[in-house]
Amino acid sequence: MLRFVLQRVLLALPTLLLVSVTVFVLLRLVPGDPAALMLGDLADPQAVAALHADLGLDRTIGEQLLIWLGHVVRGDLGHSITNGLPVLPLILDRFSVSATIVVAAVVLATVIGVPAGLVAAWRQNGPLDLATVGTATLLLSIPSFWLGLLLLLLFGLELKWVPVVGYVPFAQDFWAALLYVILPVATLVLVEMGVLTRMARSSTLEVLRLDYITHARAKGLSEGRVLLRHALPTAFAPTLTLIGLILGNLLGGIAVVETVFTLPGLGRLMVDAIYARDYPVIQGCLLFTALVYVVVNLLVDLCYPLFDPRVAA
Amino acid sequence: MLGTFRAVLLGTLAAAGLAAGTAQAETLRIAMNADIRSTDPGVNRDENTDTVVLHIVEGLVGYDEQGQPKPLLAEKIALSDDGRTYTFTLRDGVKFHNGAALTAADVVAAWKRYMTPALKWRCLSQFDGSGQTRIESVEAADPRTVVFHISAPSALFLSTMARPDCGGSGIYHADSLNADGSWNKPIGTGPYALAEWKQGRYVELKRFDGYSALSGPADGYVGDKTPKVDTARFVIIPDPAAARAALLAGDIEIVSDVSASDYKELQGNPAVTTASSPAMGISGLLLQTRDPLLKNPDLRLAIATALDIPALVDAVSEGLAEPNNSIVPLASPFYGAVEKRGFTHDPAKVKDLLAKAGYKGETIVMLANQRYKSMYDTAVLAQAMLQAAGINVDLSVMEWGAQLDKYLSGDYQMQAFAYSARLDPSLGFEAVSGDKDQQPRKVWDNADARTLLEKSMITSDGAERQTLFDQLHALFIADVPMIVTHNGVELAAFSSKVEGYRPWPAARPRLWMVGFKG
Repeated sequence: MLRFVLQRVLLALPTLLLVSVTVFVLLRLVPGDPAALMLGDLADPQAVAALHADLGLDRTIGEQLLIWLGHVVRGDLGHSITNGLPVLPLILDRFSVSATIVVAAVVLATVIGVPAGLVAAWRQNGPLDLATVGTATLLLSIPSFWLGLLLLLLFGLELKWVPVVGYVPFAQDFWAALLYVILPVATLVLVEMGVLTRMARSSTLEVLRLDYITHARAKGLSEGRVLLRHALPTAFAPTLTLIGLILGNLLGGIAVVETVFTLPGLGRLMVDAIYARDYPVIQGCLLFTALVYVVVNLLVDLCYPLFDPRVAA
Repeated sequence: MLGTFRAVLLGTLAAAGLAAGTAQAETLRIAMNADIRSTDPGVNRDENTDTVVLHIVEGLVGYDEQGQPKPLLAEKIALSDDGRTYTFTLRDGVKFHNGAALTAADVVAAWKRYMTPALKWRCLSQFDGSGQTRIESVEAADPRTVVFHISAPSALFLSTMARPDCGGSGIYHADSLNADGSWNKPIGTGPYALAEWKQGRYVELKRFDGYSALSGPADGYVGDKTPKVDTARFVIIPDPAAARAALLAGDIEIVSDVSASDYKELQGNPAVTTASSPAMGISGLLLQTRDPLLKNPDLRLAIATALDIPALVDAVSEGLAEPNNSIVPLASPFYGAVEKRGFTHDPAKVKDLLAKAGYKGETIVMLANQRYKSMYDTAVLAQAMLQAAGINVDLSVMEWGAQLDKYLSGDYQMQAFAYSARLDPSLGFEAVSGDKDQQPRKVWDNADARTLLEKSMITSDGAERQTLFDQLHALFIADVPMIVTHNGVELAAFSSKVEGYRPWPAARPRLWMVGFKG
């Protein structure tokens, strides 16, 4: 097991290096000068030139890349061009906001979506299946920003049950924090639940056709036991891969949801940085996102044998 | 079920102290579309930063609502006969947030820091001789008198000092700096003191009880600036729809920059008060006079004549803004009869001008972006009007950063653009006028205009400046390097429980003299 983990970590290093170099070079090819954007239309050319020199943007791309990589290796992602803050603490601070919401949403979406898919597959082509598939398709078709705005208007504006804007960290005030994250979590749950339900249903349908399920039924096991004891673990394995991908994707930033609900998360940090051409922050965010993908997928792979004995073998 | 859920939620709200009618009442909350960059006046800044910082620090002078610099920390200002020595007498009784009295030594110390190149103060080039003015010395003649010696007379010395993007050249106490001289936090003389900056979330200011207000009504950045609430909070809400929803839900009290469509809709809501003010930004279409096609002045004039500018402005602003073809803003005291003369929509004349220019239907590419809706709308409408007049225009929509790059390099034919507010017309003309060989971003390369502009920056005589601006305007309209369409309008919406909030031409919200009714 340890050897497997080490192998995966070592394999991730070239991936991360490739991501770093690609992001670095592509960013410099995007039109838009950070100094000009920062100083605005009131700036004079001397001020822009001085800021260029100050930010090291007057060096060649190769020099800038080597300097940046040198710092990254030492765990220093540089400082934000926009506000001068160190990038790594900034990312970690914002990531904690995104991660709280994403993890809660994915757990809830899994808890609701997977059993729903299981039951829909069990009752294939029946009214329950049609209702489940229809709802799931509707949910995954709704853009998250639109759903978020609808929830905001209904529960924030009309019913006034929750605040419309703002964020309070859980460490500061648990109950207040809960109020602020209910709607963003609900938005993500509804959107991701649709995907997970469909995946769980389709995996379960395949598993229910296998011989060992027929054998289990022939032994006289109850339908509940067949589903939960025999079908679910095998059917859950492909869904687990999807959960890993969803987690990686969402942990990399839920920019749209964060913007609608004014959450200071990683996605909003990245979007703001892109608009401002804040190179160190964009590079740091993307490298961090790549790392999150690698870690999440590694964890998913490590969990696989728990559900599918064939993998462990 | 729903009732139970609601009860639980409201119970939680009450526990969290967030339900309506709790201790939030004395906190005035205003939406801000992005976080501030620092708290160091005029150093690492943008418009949001200036807005917040100018609640905390004050300079020797500040702008009034007509864009004229007026004494702020100074009680009076004396100018020597040769126009090179400004003597500022400080107001008595002004205190910093830490209780220390304001002295001339504080002013000298703050200015010495501003003039240090390593600080990279935004306005250093305006005072170090790179531009019109060089400060030769700043001295404390006595505890209440500061003397500035400058290299040559300048009409813009006080105006520049008061500029919001210069941080109003705000004076701060020495304790604002760390022991190593780096910036810590602003300890100023403004109506509010910095309480807390939660990055990405909000900036909170506390009422300064020892604030020494000027007499007279609130007027721009001068006049009575008494804080009326205990706490003022700038809440970061990037999405305009979320800001509007938050206002309607009572989660914030003020949105200082609503869109024209939202403004119209909110006008009918009894829970919301709306207010507008003419702005001093300059919106319009830039024409590249060095483009092989557009270097022809007849073609540029044909473009200007093909546009029905009043209809365009009416559509872009939903009928809330007035057209203006001059660099001198409508709200400026220098906007007179001459500045009213602009372009007239005349389809018949367009045909003559196009024939005279030898235009054969060549494509002109117009740049626009969707970050700023007004620019995009202007471009779309202008394209339609020009196509109708037989001028072939392609619209190229790009990200704002990319468009700004094109603007700075001069690499464009035509683009919808907007300059931020310049409160003195000299600064407005300076933004567009210059030698394109030296500064490709400049729009208007006319030697006569540059001479007139330089004169307008030196003389302080109002009548003489008016004549110079009139001449500049006439030249600008004749050259057509840019088609100014309008100055825009500042639209604000705020809770009907709030009183005293007013938008103003400088387009930066002010939370002094603003409070809750009753």
